[in-house]
Amino acid sequence: MIQASLKKRLHGANGKFDLDVNLQVAEGEFIALFGPSGVGKTTLLRCLAGLEQAEGNIVINGETWLDTAQRINLSPQQRRVGYMFQDYALFPNMTVRGNLEFALRKGSDKKRVDELLELMGLGELQQRKPETLSGGQKQRVALARALASEPRLLLLDEPFSALDGEMRVHLHDEILRLQRHFAITTIIVSHDVGEVYKLANRVLVMEEGRITHQGNPAEVFSSGQTSGKFRFTGEILAIEPMDVLFSLTVLIGNQIVRVVAMPNEAGLLQAGDRVMLVSKAFNPMVFKLG
Amino acid sequence: MNRLKGQIVAIDCNEHMSLVDVAVGGDVYTATLLETPESADYLKVGNRVTLLFKETEVSLAKNLSGLISLRNRFPATVRSIQRGDILSAVMLNYADKTLISVITTRGMDRLQLVVGDAVEALVKANEIALMAGHHDA
Repeated sequence: MIQASLKKRLHGANGKFDLDVNLQVAEGEFIALFGPSGVGKTTLLRCLAGLEQAEGNIVINGETWLDTAQRINLSPQQRRVGYMFQDYALFPNMTVRGNLEFALRKGSDKKRVDELLELMGLGELQQRKPETLSGGQKQRVALARALASEPRLLLLDEPFSALDGEMRVHLHDEILRLQRHFAITTIIVSHDVGEVYKLANRVLVMEEGRITHQGNPAEVFSSGQTSGKFRFTGEILAIEPMDVLFSLTVLIGNQIVRVVAMPNEAGLLQAGDRVMLVSKAFNPMVFKLG
Repeated sequence: MNRLKGQIVAIDCNEHMSLVDVAVGGDVYTATLLETPESADYLKVGNRVTLLFKETEVSLAKNLSGLISLRNRFPATVRSIQRGDILSAVMLNYADKTLISVITTRGMDRLQLVVGDAVEALVKANEIALMAGHHDA
């Protein structure tokens, strides 16, 4: 269980505002911080990691990381947080294996590096230098490195925003698998609804330094509670008239689907809009693959 | 999609599913849900909900007689018709509300539908979703 209560004055594009957040995260939860740029999401992550100062306190499983009233403030190393940045931040002069070994805690078993290399499918790349890797490969190394230190908390700051659609989907699967494998409490910063939907158990929506609402992604992103069970978010690619209806072409993940809509519904939409498609659990037919 | 505001009057459920009866004006309609009062807070007798169903799931019948398993029969009159090649949209007055049915043009011709006709709009309970609260489009 993580409990944090943090305050910090921030300087945003529209002037000063206060980061003012109370956070409770259960062991093993996957939390998303969602909201536009400049509302304090990254600052909150950096404060949790100990990379920035804030007023307040952070307690994780009974251990105090921060208590400004008591002048307690553990260093990032003492906090043991795995942090993954958008820009990889790998050491360029070290091999893949070297990057992971560097992140190991003193005295910990090098077998963990072997385990991570295998889990992430990086075995063949372990002697390579970062500059010879693709974006997706670098990000997998960065993820493995973030996990190498046996962190008690994994923080992901828009880790996939530099990657193309297919690679993102692949890494989403990968990160979910690892998060479950290590049962590690994880907080991701994202402004991709689809990503939040796929990864997070709970989403915290931030505006101007505050958490304005939260809940599971289905609750937060639907306009109200609906009983539909078959629900996906996607992006409108095309809208075409079709008899008395309209056909909507929607990108969901990396799949393209078509659905029909009434003229009044289609009239509210344009290409690029994000939508949620909802159907009753009874409609989809199921075919076994393979 | 069609939206009707109503109030939950009864819930019949087992471990996984519920049949939820919703009063809309003086009529009661039924939705089958893969949810239970335990899994969904808004499923409580007396709560206000909005019935949602897609226009393409609304069948039309004229002079319907005999037994039918469908629970949801909306007595309505045809207000206007928009004829298409394959599909047509039929705008209906149901009490003081509007429903839309999209059926095949062939089916519409078979019913010889014209404006002013009394019809029944039929929707399977499976096809009705509920949204907590009252919501306009």
